[in-house]
Amino acid sequence: MFEDIVTVLSSPTYMGYIWQGFGTTLAVTLVAALIGLVLGFIVAVVKIAAMNNKWMKIPAFICNVYTTVIRGTPVALQLFLMVFSILAFPGFKPYAAILTFGINSGAYVSENIRAGIMSVDNGQMEAGRSLGMPWGATMVKIVFPQAIKNVVPAIGNEMIALLKETSIIGWVGSTVGTLTFDLNAAAGQIALGLGGAYLAPSIIVGVFYLVVVYAMVLIVKLVEGRLRKSDRR
Amino acid sequence: MIAVKNLYKNFGKTSVLKAVSTTVEKGEKVVIIGPSGSGKSTLLRCMNLLEEPTYGEIWVDDKLITPVDPYLHPEIISLSNTYRRMMAEGGDEETVIAEIKQKDLLRKFEGGAYAKAVKACRKENFLDINLVRRKIGMVFQHFNLFNNKTVLDNMTLAPVLLKLKSKAEAEEQAYALLKRIGLEDKAKVYPSTLSGGQKQRIAIVRALAMNPDYMLFDEPTSALDPEMVGEVLELMKELAETGMTMVIVTHEMGFAREVGTRVLFMADGQIAEEGTPAEVFGSPKSPRLQEFLSKVL
Repeated sequence: MFEDIVTVLSSPTYMGYIWQGFGTTLAVTLVAALIGLVLGFIVAVVKIAAMNNKWMKIPAFICNVYTTVIRGTPVALQLFLMVFSILAFPGFKPYAAILTFGINSGAYVSENIRAGIMSVDNGQMEAGRSLGMPWGATMVKIVFPQAIKNVVPAIGNEMIALLKETSIIGWVGSTVGTLTFDLNAAAGQIALGLGGAYLAPSIIVGVFYLVVVYAMVLIVKLVEGRLRKSDRR
Repeated sequence: MIAVKNLYKNFGKTSVLKAVSTTVEKGEKVVIIGPSGSGKSTLLRCMNLLEEPTYGEIWVDDKLITPVDPYLHPEIISLSNTYRRMMAEGGDEETVIAEIKQKDLLRKFEGGAYAKAVKACRKENFLDINLVRRKIGMVFQHFNLFNNKTVLDNMTLAPVLLKLKSKAEAEEQAYALLKRIGLEDKAKVYPSTLSGGQKQRIAIVRALAMNPDYMLFDEPTSALDPEMVGEVLELMKELAETGMTMVIVTHEMGFAREVGTRVLFMADGQIAEEGTPAEVFGSPKSPRLQEFLSKVL
């Protein structure tokens, strides 16, 4: 096993696969996370707004269908459905995959954000409204800033989960050099070259994942700490 | 003037307010008392539409802030299909309208003329609630100071955001108000560092920073430690002496007697008795009120 690890680490071809896969994993996660955050924020606000605005009832219903379906079905199923059926355009495969992860993440993010907003005492909104401030302005100036410190840890968790979920992107095609060739696919490719020895490449790729996740944990902690400090006095 | 007309409020199947009507004139200090669950707070919260009434209308300075309630407008009822049908079956105007009102016979769609009349009534009288709320300050039981803002920002946020004052003007006024309550040294601190009494006094001057014509108080001293009740009541008393129109839900009977110009006693979602403090506290008529007073005095 150690020999295999040394072989992989000293082979420019194999390390090339890993760095390439690493780049794909990071890029896919980043873009999907951005899509997920934007989507999740919009869905959360629509759902909250619908609680006292009848015009938002229909959009909120659509949002509820969205979160129910996405959270109720496996991401692998969503991936295959999007890549091979709904968005099966030539050359669109990697983008369909990234979009899938973004849409999937959005459903979870929306629930995190919604919970964060709901955790802020309703009296804050009432106080703002009683002073004549519109709903939106009170949300932006008063509620969101207080909600964000409740939301950040949960969003951090979701981003970590997303990073690891993207490891199935290779299932829709893991040709070297394509945008669906991620870390996990790199491990598979290397194992193939080593004659089916999965252990060594898996360990190396695992360390890559672990380092990124740990970095994300540190970032979340940092942000959390800063938010809490500014929240005090 | 705040006019409450035939107000009903249901939460699901429980009805909290039943046919409440009252008018608060400029300069009045109306104190609302009653057992818990009698609808005092709900009535107060309806006055600035934090609670939306189920039926009935609320008018502030002759502007309608709720949807039009057709039952309060006989001329609108008389345009409805139901009215026409009942008139065709025989009957005179007054009894038909009374019957429609009493039996709640109006449906959602009552013909074009009816819909047009409702719309016209709304167009003529309706005023956006955000504009009305600028004139109606509100003080909450749990203070509801903005936790993410300093005391100064709490007081200047709304006036500046709504472009009623420049930032400099708003801050100058905020400092003057803080000075009046002896808390100008607290301008830059966050609410979490304040005592309950300080929080509530700042909540009162935050509302005053909007230069309101009316002030609503929703049990302003109920969440305070006993030794802090006095300072808040004192500020409210000073405010009353400036001529502010006030509506106060409270359990402080001494305060109600001293400051109130009119006392409403609520029970089971209705105004069970009302009068001057001398009448209500001195010679209560209804057994409900007598029983209530015997418990709280």
